[in-house]
Amino acid sequence: MRRSRQLAGLLWTAPWWLGFLFFLAVPMAMSLYLSFCDYPLLQPPVFTGTQNYRQLAVDPVFHKVLGNTFIYAAGAIPLGTLVAVLLAVLLNRRVRGQGIFRTCIFVPTVVPVVATAVLWLWALNEQYGLLNQALGVAGIGGPAWLASPGWAMSSLILVSLWGVGSPVVIYLAGLQDVPEELYEAARLDGASPVRQFWHVTLPGISPVILFNVIIAIIGTWQIFALPYVMSNPGPERGTYFYTMYLYDNAYRFLKMGYASAMAWIQLVIILALTGLVFWVSRRMVHYRGA
Amino acid sequence: MTLRGTLIFLLLVLPALALLAFGPRQAPHVPPDRTVVRYWEKWTGVEGAVMKRIVAEYNQTQGAEDGIWVEYLAVSNVDQRTLVAVAGGDPPDLAGLYDHIIAQFADRDALLPLDDLVQESGIDADAFKPAWWNIGVYNDRLYALPSTPYVIALYYNKRLFREAGLDPDRPPRTLAELDEYSRKLTRFEAGRIVQAGFIPAPKLLGWWHWVWLYFFGGNLWDGQQFTLDTPAGRAAHRWMYEQRVEMGLKQSVAFEANVGAVEGPLNPFLAERLAMVYQGPWVANWVRQYKPSLEYGVARFPADREDRHPVFVSSDVFVIPRGSRHPREAMRFLRYLLRQDVLERLCREHWKLSPFRTPSEDFFENHPIREHIRTLDALADSDDVFGYPRMPTWSEASVEMLFMIENIFQGHRPPDEALRETQAKIDAIVNEYQRMAALRRAAEATP
Repeated sequence: MRRSRQLAGLLWTAPWWLGFLFFLAVPMAMSLYLSFCDYPLLQPPVFTGTQNYRQLAVDPVFHKVLGNTFIYAAGAIPLGTLVAVLLAVLLNRRVRGQGIFRTCIFVPTVVPVVATAVLWLWALNEQYGLLNQALGVAGIGGPAWLASPGWAMSSLILVSLWGVGSPVVIYLAGLQDVPEELYEAARLDGASPVRQFWHVTLPGISPVILFNVIIAIIGTWQIFALPYVMSNPGPERGTYFYTMYLYDNAYRFLKMGYASAMAWIQLVIILALTGLVFWVSRRMVHYRGA
Repeated sequence: MTLRGTLIFLLLVLPALALLAFGPRQAPHVPPDRTVVRYWEKWTGVEGAVMKRIVAEYNQTQGAEDGIWVEYLAVSNVDQRTLVAVAGGDPPDLAGLYDHIIAQFADRDALLPLDDLVQESGIDADAFKPAWWNIGVYNDRLYALPSTPYVIALYYNKRLFREAGLDPDRPPRTLAELDEYSRKLTRFEAGRIVQAGFIPAPKLLGWWHWVWLYFFGGNLWDGQQFTLDTPAGRAAHRWMYEQRVEMGLKQSVAFEANVGAVEGPLNPFLAERLAMVYQGPWVANWVRQYKPSLEYGVARFPADREDRHPVFVSSDVFVIPRGSRHPREAMRFLRYLLRQDVLERLCREHWKLSPFRTPSEDFFENHPIREHIRTLDALADSDDVFGYPRMPTWSEASVEMLFMIENIFQGHRPPDEALRETQAKIDAIVNEYQRMAALRRAAEATP
C-alpha cells in the first residue's frame, strides 16, 4: 500500500521532476562544464580549465558591468522598497476610491517592458520629454537624462519605480495580516500614527519586506530589457549591465563558455547577497508565532 | 493508485493524447513530389510581402519544374536563430542574413561554401558588380550571395544650402569643404545648436559608425591585424574631434539627445535641423513618409583629397547554412532569385540598389528614388569601395570602436589616446581569438 502510494506520488509529480531534470538540472550541469571551456556554439567545446574565470578577473568591461549592476541594485532596491511600502500603507487606508488607486498603481506592471521603455524614452527626452517640459514650467532646465553619463543611471533607477505595483500588492496583503489588536494596544499606550507604523506595521510586515528584497535582488541582477531598449549601452558603458554583457558574449561574440562562466558568477553573487540579507535580517524580521 | 485516482489520471491524460494524435494540423499545402526548402528571412512588413510574392510565384511556376516548394518564414533576430539552429543540427536550407557576420559565421563553419554550387547552377558571377559579389567572399571562398545592396552616401538639404548662400547643386567635394559648408549651415540660439551642418555622431548614423579612417586613406583590417592606430586613423579621429569641439561638446551632446528614433519625424535631417547626413537609400523612404516636402540631393561622401573616392558598400545576403538538408534545391531557388528581373524587382521594392553590373532601364525608370538611383548605382563602381572588415571578431571590435568614438565625442579621451587604447583592446581580442583557434586546432588534432 505504502509502495503504491509512493509510486502514485512520483507519477503525479513526474512532469515537474522531468521538467526540473531536462530544463534545469541538466542545462545547469552543462553550463557549469561549458564555463571551463572555449565554446563558440558551432564547434565542439574545448576544455580550457579556469581560463574563462581568469580572463573575467582582468576584463575591464566585466568590472564595469559588475559595478554598474551593483550601483543600480544599491539605488533601485532601497528606493523601490521605500516607495512600495509607503504606497501600500497609503492604499491600505479606507478611503473613497481605494480600488481605483490600487488599480492605478498596479496597471503599469502589466505594460510590456519594451512598451514601458519606449514610453520613458520619450518622457525623458531632453527637449520634447514630459519631464523636462514640466521642469521648464518651473524655470528649471532639465538634463539630457539618458545621454549624459551622470544622469543615465539615475534615470534608469527612477524608471524602475514604474514596476513598483507588484511589491505593493504583496505589501498590501502583508499589511492586512498585521493583527488589529496590536494597533489597538499601541493606541491605548498613546502611540502616534508614525510610532504605530514604526513599531507595529514595519515589524508586522518584515517577513514580506525580506521576501520582496530578495526578489528585487534577483530582479535587479537580471535587468536587461529596460536598459537594452532605453540606453544600450549608454555613455561610457554607464548603463551596460551584467546580463547585457552576458548576452553579448553568448550570442554576439559567440563566447558561450565565457558567458557560462559569467552566469555562474552571477548565481554565486545572487546567492551570496541573499545569504547576506538573511544574515543581516535575522534580528529584524519578526515571524508571528516564532 | 486508487480507482478514483486512476480515473482522474486517465480523464486528464487520454484527451491530451487524443489531441496529440488527432488534433488540428496545419492544412497540407505542399503539392506531392516537391522537396520543401525552408527559407528564413529577416524581412517583415512591406519588405517581407515582396519576398513572399516572389516565393509564391516561384512555387507556382519554376518551382513546379524544379520539384521544389519554398517555405518562407520571417524570423526576428535571424542571425542568432540561424546560429542556434545550426548548432542544434536543424538549420533552414536558406537564410537571409547580414553581410557583417559572414566572416564570423564562415570562420565558425556555420556556412556552406557556395563556389561549387554556384558553378553547378550556372549563376554568372560576372553579371554582378564586383563590389556586391565580393561581399560574400571570405578567405577566398564564396559564402554568401547579395540580395539587396546599398551604399552609404551624403544626403543634403538643398533648401538649407540655398539659405546659407551655398550652391544646392554643388555638394562638398573634400572634407575641408564639408567643414566649411557645415560652419555656414550651423546656427546657434541662446547657446544651443538649433541647426547643424554635419555631425558624424553614431546616433545619427547606423552600424557604419567606424568608417571614418577610410576617408583619410586608411583601412581597418589588413587580413591579419586590426589597423586603427595609424596615421589615417589618427587624422580621421582628430578631424571628428576638432569638428565637434568647434560646435561645442556639450551643445553637440544636447543636440543628439533630442534625436529619439532615427527613423521618425524627429530625425533632425527630416526635421530640417541637420543639413547633411551620411546615410543609406532608406532616407528617401523616410522622406516620403515623414517629410515629403523635403528637397534633398545625394552625392558621394567626400574624402580628405578630391582624388580619393571611398564608398561604403553593404548588402543583405543569402546563405546556405551548414547542415542544410537540401543545399542543391536551395541553390536552384537562389538561381531563380538571382535572375536579373526577379532580384531587381526585390531591390526596387526595398528601395535598394541593383547588384548587377548593368542594371536594367526598367529598374532605373521605375525605382521609387528615380532621381537619385543612378547616382547611387555609380558610387558602387568606385575604385575605393570598402565593406565591413572581414575579421571573425568584428562584432566585438565594432563595439569597442563605438565606445571609442563616444569617448572622444564626450571629451573623455583625446583622440590619439582613445585610438591607442582601442587598438590595444582589439589587438587583445584578435590575439585571444587566434590563441583559442590554435588551441582548438591542437585539440581537434589529438586523437
